Amino acid sequence: MQQLNNIFELNNISKVYERKIAISSLSLTIKKGELVALIGPSGAGKTTLLNILANVLKSESGQLLISGVLSDKYNSGKKLAKKIGIIRQQFDLVGQLPVVHNVLAGRLVEWGFLKSLLSLIFPQEKELAKKALDRVGLLDKIYEKTSNLSGGEQQRVAMARLLVQKPEVILADEPVSALDPARAEDILSMLTKLVREENETLITVLHSVEYAKKYFDRIIAMREGKVYFDLPAEKVTDKLLSDLYDLKELN
Amino acid sequence: MNKISHSFDIHKKTILTLLLILAFIWSLFSVNWGPELVHTGGKATLAQIFESLFHPQLSSEIINLALIATWRTLSYAVAGMTLAIIIAILFGVLASGVLAKSELSRRFSKGVFRGILGFMRAIHELIWAWLFVASIGLTPYAAIFALAIPYGGILGRIFADIINDVPKEPIEALYSAGASRIQLLFYGYLPMAASDMISYTMYRFECAVRSSTVMSFVGLGGIGFQIQLALQDLNYNQVWTYMFFLIILVVLIDLWSNILRKRLVE
Repeated sequence: MQQLNNIFELNNISKVYERKIAISSLSLTIKKGELVALIGPSGAGKTTLLNILANVLKSESGQLLISGVLSDKYNSGKKLAKKIGIIRQQFDLVGQLPVVHNVLAGRLVEWGFLKSLLSLIFPQEKELAKKALDRVGLLDKIYEKTSNLSGGEQQRVAMARLLVQKPEVILADEPVSALDPARAEDILSMLTKLVREENETLITVLHSVEYAKKYFDRIIAMREGKVYFDLPAEKVTDKLLSDLYDLKELN
Repeated sequence: MNKISHSFDIHKKTILTLLLILAFIWSLFSVNWGPELVHTGGKATLAQIFESLFHPQLSSEIINLALIATWRTLSYAVAGMTLAIIIAILFGVLASGVLAKSELSRRFSKGVFRGILGFMRAIHELIWAWLFVASIGLTPYAAIFALAIPYGGILGRIFADIINDVPKEPIEALYSAGASRIQLLFYGYLPMAASDMISYTMYRFECAVRSSTVMSFVGLGGIGFQIQLALQDLNYNQVWTYMFFLIILVVLIDLWSNILRKRLVE
């Protein structure tokens, strides 16, 4: 029973890049419905960890269970896409297509070839796209060319795609790093709100400690490939944070 | 040793430039600098050609002939390009390797189809024209196939490169959203590559009109054939009439492609 509640279970995961250790024997569990922020200095291995969770990268050693199943078992993109959705910086969308197709791309996992081809001419399941765009406040831009949208709007389109894709867990890799503070807050509050409404799990790599404390339940801090601390957001103190970002090498 | 080769690396370009200049100077010695170097009657002919530039023959009979010939040349070019585009999209996508599942099949698909495209464009359209005239005779099909094959080869190669050069992030995002290879092609690669593909195709279409003109020298009708006949009669006034038709045709295509490109960018 306990196992079913864990969306991710990592046992002694290690990853090495050309003799440089990116992650060293890391163990973690992440429960369903948690909102986790991954913070830490540059080069701490946050994005590497996220890519391992996304099954994009394979770890050298250790074991990753996704919903209690070994990660190797998710060998097809379609199978994985129903479980995990990914949002990165704002360059994720196909700018030349209208917004509606970028949103409906979240349905490609369910659609066959002919239906997806037909949809490029007559958008299929348009109601679904409309509903998702309405929730991110972009319903009026549905037929706009995506590249004409601002950076913040494009991130909202990416969120609408995730709403249509309906994965169990969303992995976000610095989703607001290319945005100004006002838009960054707007995107983060919307993302966390939608994830809560959908009962999904969210793991986000973040640069800003302030946003991590404001919008997330649990903060995992990484340093030099290891977990430095793993605490509920309200228990993270300024002392811990200044130690985390200290420039001195750890022994 | 290492040092020497390093300093050679730096000066490689200069050494090559010097060698080429020397070769050029040396080649001048083998020229026979006599009065027969330039064709003596050439000056008069050149003047005649230049003069007739301002007096193209504009009789209704010639204009009528020029219109029909231009139309024929354009039809060959359009039909040839249409076939070339179909070949190029099919082979270009396969030569880009984006449909392949494994690394091995990707390499195989890239290698085989890039090879086929290379073979198609290695042979010039004029040679294809001779081959087709010899095999299927002086029919429009000979002209169309002779254009379609090398142009399909060139376009296919460029299409494959354009598809390979699209930004990777949106493709990865689509893949993680669960898109299959063929869905990636229609939702990612092709929309991102389309404007470059169309603008290159338009440029190639312009080239196809010129090629189709030259090809009619083998006897396949069209504006080139008329130019050839007029040249054999030393009737330069007629030659210019046909040339102006050709120029107008190319300029019109250029205008059309500009309008199309502008609409694509918006």
